[in-house]
Amino acid sequence: MSAAGGQGRPFLRVFLAPEVTYSRSTGENDQVSRSQQRGLRRVRDLCRVLQLPSTFEDTAVAYYQQAYRHSGIRAARLQKKEVLVGCCVLITCRQHNWPLTMGTVCALLYADLDVFSGTYMQIVKLLGLDVPSLCLADLVKTYCSSFRLFQASPSVPAKYVEDKEKMLSRTLQLVELADETWLVTGRHPLPVITAATFLAWQSLQPSHRLTCSLARFCKLANVDLPYPASSRLQELLSVLLRMAERLAWLQVLKLDKRSVVKHIGDLLQHRHTLVRKAFRDGTAEMEAGEKELRGRCQGPEQGKEEVASSSLDLPEGKRPASPTPLLPPCMLKPPKRICPPPPVSTVTGDENISDSEIEQYLRTPQEIKDFEKAQAARQAARSVSNPP
Amino acid sequence: MARAPRALSRAQLQLNSRASPFPPPLLTVGPPPMEEEQTYLELYLDQCAAQDDLAPPGSPLLSPIVPDDGYIPNTSNSETVFNSHLQEVKGASGHFSSVDLSFLPDELTQESKDQSVIRSKQDIEENCKTQSQQSRLSLPREQDMGLGLINDSTLSKSHSQAYPGDADSVQPSPEKPNSTPLMSITPMTPVTPVSECSGIVPQLQNIVSTVNLACKLDLKKIALHAKNAEYNPKRFAAVIMRIREPRTTALIFSSGKMVCTGAKSEEQSRLAARKYARVVQKLGFPARFLDFKIQNMVGSCDVRFPIRLEGLVLTHQQFSSYEPELFPGLIYRMVKPRIVLLIFVSGKVVLTGAKERSEIYEAFENIYPILKGFKKA
Repeated sequence: MSAAGGQGRPFLRVFLAPEVTYSRSTGENDQVSRSQQRGLRRVRDLCRVLQLPSTFEDTAVAYYQQAYRHSGIRAARLQKKEVLVGCCVLITCRQHNWPLTMGTVCALLYADLDVFSGTYMQIVKLLGLDVPSLCLADLVKTYCSSFRLFQASPSVPAKYVEDKEKMLSRTLQLVELADETWLVTGRHPLPVITAATFLAWQSLQPSHRLTCSLARFCKLANVDLPYPASSRLQELLSVLLRMAERLAWLQVLKLDKRSVVKHIGDLLQHRHTLVRKAFRDGTAEMEAGEKELRGRCQGPEQGKEEVASSSLDLPEGKRPASPTPLLPPCMLKPPKRICPPPPVSTVTGDENISDSEIEQYLRTPQEIKDFEKAQAARQAARSVSNPP
Repeated sequence: MARAPRALSRAQLQLNSRASPFPPPLLTVGPPPMEEEQTYLELYLDQCAAQDDLAPPGSPLLSPIVPDDGYIPNTSNSETVFNSHLQEVKGASGHFSSVDLSFLPDELTQESKDQSVIRSKQDIEENCKTQSQQSRLSLPREQDMGLGLINDSTLSKSHSQAYPGDADSVQPSPEKPNSTPLMSITPMTPVTPVSECSGIVPQLQNIVSTVNLACKLDLKKIALHAKNAEYNPKRFAAVIMRIREPRTTALIFSSGKMVCTGAKSEEQSRLAARKYARVVQKLGFPARFLDFKIQNMVGSCDVRFPIRLEGLVLTHQQFSSYEPELFPGLIYRMVKPRIVLLIFVSGKVVLTGAKERSEIYEAFENIYPILKGFKKA
């Protein structure tokens, strides 16, 4: 029997549990430390909780073992080793394009995102791994499917129930639109998807759903509302409004952020053309402006673009003011503080240092005495308030 | 205005970057016998005769312009080294910018330099237009540009003969020849083409330096006698001292070692460290000023256009790390020079990890063409 191994279980146990596991009988775990065994068990458990395919489990376990070969990991605190379990599972999922977010992993491990972040970056560097980015399209499908809106229930009125496929496809289009208009780069991916899901759901039956707020929507759907989602929602709505200004039959309606929701279907249908027309990149805008001027001067000879888009675009006279540049929101906001150019520094490093300049930093003897007295008084006060 | 980046000559860059695969000629044999020199000259003249459209040996192109690193090449090369060089030069048609020919005497390299001038200009245009796949962009060969520009008449003649003809042994480059006329410039000025230079100079934001005061210090006494010091032994085992000019902070340890942070230039950091040392001296300690060393420099700048970080991480995945769930910027670990860049969607770039100012400038010049490739959505 394997009593000589690391386990050292009493002989009696063998009779109470007639089946001996393979790992206990072969002694394969004898070389493996207890904390590593615990970690490996947790990796397998996490994979099962997440209902991942079985191949993922083996890969994640292999990564954990690989990590454990490094002395820095073996000597790390328990907290780090626990977080490492999540890192290995996350890397495995990313490599198979399985949309698992760090937020989900941290929630399951009851771990702090800061600790997770440090361990994750360290382990990727240590193992020299190439981890692909989170796949947005798959994340949309998984995340949207978790919204409890596809069947009527006591908390979900009939008018709020929606068809899953319709919602998925519209959400995907809105997320693509957000990506194209710089709302996704550099930001947490999930809040954008929450905002897009909400807009998709609202726009599919606006008459009954416009009164529902984002917070209430998430509550009904039994999904947590991430904090940045409201801000992403406002940004997405302003993009849609800019696009609406380019659709002839919408320009006359003078839409605002609430009424534009009713027309999201139309806007998404023509989104590629509208984005091109509504937003212009800085240099392209100037070139386009010049071309239009030349086109008008030439008279009947119009550019191809203008002829092609005339069905969607407005007659020349009523075209709105110059389009806003297509930039990330952080570049559109005015700068928080104007950085003055740094003054020219003629310091050589070898200047003379005057005594007076140094003495300004030193205490006079009187000041020293006062300071010592104050310190002593503080010590006395402390010892009185905290009797030993 | 901050100090402009010092234009390093190609030879200096090559020397700085890697150990040259070929030993410096000065370390090998003594002065060559006359026959060897003769052989080299004959070889060279033969090649010139075979490619008649290139400059004849007697042209002003041959006036040697010695690389300013003092690496004066002489003809005491072993024949094998010379031949292998020629092989490399002939074989690697697209990669002239990486071949180090500085050790060869100038007369012998003219023919390859002519070809490389024609090619390097196209290479530079290509590099600017297309997305650069490599993280390291070698700076243009200023000597070659200078040489080519001196003798524009000869070169344009060779241009016109080489390209429309197409028949001869000068391999025509796949791109159309550069149609902009060659400017005449004073020969000694190294020229970098305008399309290469970003025109943006990173500003230094923080310098971290260390110095050894070489005496044991009583931190309690320092905290008592100095107004600008804070000392909390339970929190941290050093005195934190600050001065107003230059506005910096220092960590002073009982071993006598000191860290100075917050300066905006190397000189300011040194001045600040000296002031801290003076304060410690005035408090009665025999402080010295040994081993002052800049440990880290941080710079920042703005390219003024948005950057598709998701695209950048795809094409440069071996250097980049972009995790929007953790941090909004992309972390780019450049290998040469060893600098870490934080690149944000707004186009702002932070460069850190440098021991010298030139590394920051070089890193930015390396990343700028890569970022330009991601300018349009």
